[in-house]
Amino acid sequence: MTIEEQIREIIAKITRVDKSIITRESTFKEIKADSLDVVQALVAVEETFGIEIPDEEAQKFQNFGDFVSYVENRVAQEEKV
Amino acid sequence: MSLEGKLALVTGSGRGIGRAIALKLASQGVDIIVNFFRHRDSAEQTAKDIEALGVKAEVIRANVGDPAKIDEMFDMIGNKFGRLDILISNAASGVGRPVVDIDVKAWEWTMDINARALLLCAQRAAKLMEGRGGKIVSISSLGSRFVLPNYTIVGVSKAALEALTRYLAIELAPRGICVNVVAASAVETEALKFYFKEGLVKNNRQVTPAGRMVIPEDVANVVAFLCSEEAFMIRGQTIIVDGGTSVGLFTLAGK
Ligand SMILES: NC(=O)c1ccc[n+]([C@@H]2O[C@H](COP(=O)([O-])OP(=O)(O)OC[C@H]3O[C@@H](n4cnc5c(N)ncnc54)[C@H](OP(=O)(O)O)[C@@H]3O)[C@@H](O)[C@H]2O)c1
Repeated sequence: MTIEEQIREIIAKITRVDKSIITRESTFKEIKADSLDVVQALVAVEETFGIEIPDEEAQKFQNFGDFVSYVENRVAQEEKV
Repeated sequence: MSLEGKLALVTGSGRGIGRAIALKLASQGVDIIVNFFRHRDSAEQTAKDIEALGVKAEVIRANVGDPAKIDEMFDMIGNKFGRLDILISNAASGVGRPVVDIDVKAWEWTMDINARALLLCAQRAAKLMEGRGGKIVSISSLGSRFVLPNYTIVGVSKAALEALTRYLAIELAPRGICVNVVAASAVETEALKFYFKEGLVKNNRQVTPAGRMVIPEDVANVVAFLCSEEAFMIRGQTIIVDGGTSVGLFTLAGK
């Protein structure tokens, strides 16, 4: 599974939406994720990929695609070190 | 009232009331373990400010709603310091919703962070306080006994926290551990902005007999007192810091 697919599954499980509706352009509101869902998704993604996503960064995510790109970059950086 | 050389863990002390408590204890010579969850920058800044007071600071990330993370945090404290003198259970989270909209997820999230964390942290802290005694203070709010708008889950979690404090106080008393709670009315922090619209905050100033809102330092001062030997005979109590708001309820007509 790609990083994108894994994050999509995590979010779909938390918000109980069908994962097919989650596209890179979907906003958290469109995915019906309230602030608690978002925090829980962040925590689950952090654990899955062994990274830390500070709130200062997470607040910049406008949509699902931003979230995925951030994690992809972080995972790539981790692999370099 | 010196606490020189003691070691304290303050949960959720990167910002808000926890930060004020950490700085107050640090100013009395206490080394501080700054626990945070989502805001690392704030936690690192608090640690710097603590060190500037001439004591040591250690930053540890842990979600206190997760038992495994609490264990990791205490394993780390045990390995690095082998002791703990003061535990301040301050971290809290919550979902502001009307009663009819509360679901299991929001309930569990709030209870785990606000109430269960005290139990789990106190259990581990008591071991690190073995043979030396200690102080455990947690932070509650008036919402444990008074109804605030959209505050149900947090209010109930705070009621659990206060009840748990009484049990801890009695069962840990033979080990020389003093356990108490400080309950504040609305305090000017980020959390407040989240719960109350500006109108309520203004209103709150008018209804506080002491003439101003409670600030984080007001809470920190009482916490520091409860951590001192002078407070040795205070056990299992909820100390209210609200500028008189709760006892003045019936004087509010027309305000
Ligand atoms: N503000 C008020 O009006 C008021 C009134 C009465 C009582 N209180 C109580 O005072 C305490 C502090 O409140 P505050 O106003 O300072 O809150 P705040 O500004 O919202 O800060 C909350 C603190 O708790 C931490 N935290 C949240 N969830 C956590 C978790 N799962 N694990 C570890 N840390 C976590 C946060 O860390 P990160 O930022 O790193 O996530 C932050 O440091 C709380 O117990 C609150 O209920 C507040």
